[in-house]
Amino acid sequence: MSLLKTVGLRASYGQVDVLLGIDIDVSEGEMVVVLGANGAGKTTTMRAVSGTIARSGSVVFDGQEIVSQSAESIVRLGVAHVPQGRGTFSELTVEENLRIGAYIRKDSIESDIARWYETFPRLEERQNQRAGSLSGGEQQMLAIARALMSRPRLLLCDEPSLGLAPLVTQELFEVLKNLNEQDGLSVLLVEQNANLALKVASKVYLLETGQVVASGSAEAIAGDERIRKAYLGG
Amino acid sequence: MERLLQYIFDGLSFGAIYALLALGLVVVFRGTGHLNFAQGEMAMFCTFIIWQINDWGVPLILAVVIGMVFGFLLGAGTEATVIRSVAKKSPGGVFVVSIALFLGLNSLATMIWDRAEGYTMGSLFPNKPLDFVRVLGAEWRYKFIGVLVVALALMGLLFLLFSKTKFGLAMRSVASNPESARLVGVPSGVVLASSWGIAAAMGALSGALVGGINGQLTPSLMFSVFIYASAAATLGGLDSPGGAVIAGLSIGIGEQLVAGYIPGWIGQDLKLSVALISIFVVLLVKPSGLFGSLKVERV
Amino acid sequence: MLKIKEGSLQHWAIRIVGFALLALLVIYIPTQSETARIGQFASAFTLIIAAMSLNMVLGFTGQISLGHSAFFGIGGYTAAILIRDHGWSPGYTFYAAAVIAFVVGCLIGLPVLRIRGAYLALVTLAVAVLFPTLLRWKKLEWLTDGAKGIDSVKYDDLPVWPILGELKGRDGRAVFSYWLGLLVLVIVYLVCRGLIRSRVGRSLIAIRDNETAAAVMGVNVTRTKVLIFGISASMCALAGVLATLNSGVVTPDGQFVTLLGSIIFLLIMVVGGAGTLSGPIIGGLVYVWLDNTTRGIGTDSSGVLGFVFGWTDQSPATLILGLALIVIMLFAPTGLMGLLRKLTRRIMTIIPRDISPTQ
Ligand SMILES: Nc1ncnc2c1ncn2[C@@H]1O[C@H](COP(=O)(O)OP(=O)(O)OP(=O)(O)O)[C@@H](O)[C@H]1O
Ligand SMILES: [Mg+2]
Repeated sequence: MSLLKTVGLRASYGQVDVLLGIDIDVSEGEMVVVLGANGAGKTTTMRAVSGTIARSGSVVFDGQEIVSQSAESIVRLGVAHVPQGRGTFSELTVEENLRIGAYIRKDSIESDIARWYETFPRLEERQNQRAGSLSGGEQQMLAIARALMSRPRLLLCDEPSLGLAPLVTQELFEVLKNLNEQDGLSVLLVEQNANLALKVASKVYLLETGQVVASGSAEAIAGDERIRKAYLGG
Repeated sequence: MERLLQYIFDGLSFGAIYALLALGLVVVFRGTGHLNFAQGEMAMFCTFIIWQINDWGVPLILAVVIGMVFGFLLGAGTEATVIRSVAKKSPGGVFVVSIALFLGLNSLATMIWDRAEGYTMGSLFPNKPLDFVRVLGAEWRYKFIGVLVVALALMGLLFLLFSKTKFGLAMRSVASNPESARLVGVPSGVVLASSWGIAAAMGALSGALVGGINGQLTPSLMFSVFIYASAAATLGGLDSPGGAVIAGLSIGIGEQLVAGYIPGWIGQDLKLSVALISIFVVLLVKPSGLFGSLKVERV
Repeated sequence: MLKIKEGSLQHWAIRIVGFALLALLVIYIPTQSETARIGQFASAFTLIIAAMSLNMVLGFTGQISLGHSAFFGIGGYTAAILIRDHGWSPGYTFYAAAVIAFVVGCLIGLPVLRIRGAYLALVTLAVAVLFPTLLRWKKLEWLTDGAKGIDSVKYDDLPVWPILGELKGRDGRAVFSYWLGLLVLVIVYLVCRGLIRSRVGRSLIAIRDNETAAAVMGVNVTRTKVLIFGISASMCALAGVLATLNSGVVTPDGQFVTLLGSIIFLLIMVVGGAGTLSGPIIGGLVYVWLDNTTRGIGTDSSGVLGFVFGWTDQSPATLILGLALIVIMLFAPTGLMGLLRKLTRRIMTIIPRDISPTQ
């Protein structure tokens, strides 16, 4: 069953049209990856889904049209967005970052905090440290954990590997894969590291200048000689 | 010794009032990055409202509460209507708007409460000639004690709000990163309006306290208080609430000490100048105040 | 819509017609209108000069200053003291005031301009508040006459000839103030224009847009900032001299010597259009017009205004000014100049000459 479906999604910054009609479909429990060159519009696509930019067309989440809803209400429906560049609250402590991540929830959140500390032990060690003083990798973990604190059904994750050491990236992807497979969390992932992404994702969209130029199952895309040459570096 | 203690007692109460108003400036600045030049005039206007309600027969303490609610609505309403849309078009414009509010509110108060000699303002605390305690020989007047206690209590509440409640956390998150705050579901509009509202409500209280100490109410009530408060906010660091309180109290005490021990060749009229010049010197060494962080630059 | 090439015949025609209209207006006012009206224009000129000086610092360089009332005051007091106590001829006091204010401006600017943004606003606010107390200071009474200020600043060599036409019931002094103010205004305008179009001007704007980038590009940020602050201070002092010559009085609580003065200069600059050369001119004229028309509104006015403000004895002038300012910031954040540009762009566009590859 389709959890997120965009049809003809368009967005622009001022006069410049950046998304020219994007169709993306994420099924319940699926991990989908969006690939594309710098400036293709990947981040903008994520922002258009989460509501942090004005957009038009259709975005249906869980059977509900959300294209005209605000970011504040979309997160309440179960969409959490880990923005590119992490967007942690640098003046707040690690623990406060996690707590504010659960802002929309009314129930007890202590067990969630404990769970993400268990997943990312390094965050627990630094729980009273200001987020701004964490390393890049730790901040990325924090950003993901913060997003998960809202108990989303769909996680939008924008280039989590940006600037991270390969080993840390591996670790992060392991976590995402587990979340997807064991908790049934649906993930829409933007990634530059195509080879890694293709290993974890089941479906792939290829973006070029604001349009989807190819899509299909991870195996099909990985096997397509032409696409490999053009986008995946051989 | 006795004299020194006396100056410290009086200075603490005045300082607490400066700190209240300065905290208002800091709350707005941290939340929205704007300097509210009208902070003092908003407080003055609310104080007139308090006087008016009291004059209609409502007990003063209740009038102060109503005045603070009025202040909250005034501040929040201003943010939600004018400030926000100006900020979208030109961030520097907000400072100009706050100057316009400064002029407009002062003028409006002069028009409504139009009497050159001003009005008599009641004190929230006992204020008869013998209403004081002696501490080591110095007189500590009840009204000064009251002002200090109320101001400190409100500041304490504010710190609890900021550090212990979910709403306080939301406010700090908006100040830290507005876009991420929206992404976790914080209604930033409500938060921004509330910071202006809280600042104005604190202003209303400080106005009532100043009015009570002076015993008299005119549209120029808050001007010099605002100058001291802005000095306190600058000195402590515009984004540091703790700094504002420490600086406010120090300026209050310093003012009394300077007034008391000032060498003859300077003379009384330069009391304010001494405060301002010392702040000048501090800023030259630390351009973002004693406790402020450097990243803040907007007006 | 018209399309006109820069430097073409039509462009020159428009320029000449515009200039002629302006010249006509400038001559019309002192020769045809009443003394009071001429006086209003003379005071508008001083405010325009002050706003222009602030514009150099705030509009073009992005350094906020609420301390310009102090420079205005320095000019006013320099003129008053030199004329009354030392028998100077008024003309020379302009030079003296400009030099003194330049030195003071640089001295204040040197330490202060390290400070930025909101902090700078508050520090310069302190300058504005300190200045009048300094004037009132007992130890300086020998110089400033303390709280009562200096009055009856007389000068004997004032020409009473009307410069153009005949006086016909007009006050010679008002007409003279008008021409003198206009002369200083034109000079200040030309200096500002020269500065902005020079290399210095480009450095200023670079600093405003991004200080760090400007420094990387090789602009000596501190020197440029301090220098422009000093120049701006001396321009503002010229306005102060004019004001003293016009009224013959300076006091520590004179409107433009206190913080209120700085606020008014700022308003004029913003209303006209910050960071534009002619913005302050429009702003100053509008301000003086608004001030004079609203000043009279009160209990005795009739019509809508009487209905709205009939309940109070106090003038709603400042309230109206504040509201007008908010409306401008809401609907025309680039000021009247920005609005004007938008309007003329509807009617015609001037196509610039080919931009040559070398700057
Ligand atoms: N805030 C903005 N204002 C104006 N243009 C923008 C803005 N953000 C992005 N753009 C433009 O929109 C286009 C798409 O940007 P986007 O950030 O979506 O690309 P991306 O695919 O995420 O690239 P990258 O891989 O570098 O992150 C780019 O051409 C970019 O210049
Ligand atoms: Mg991107």
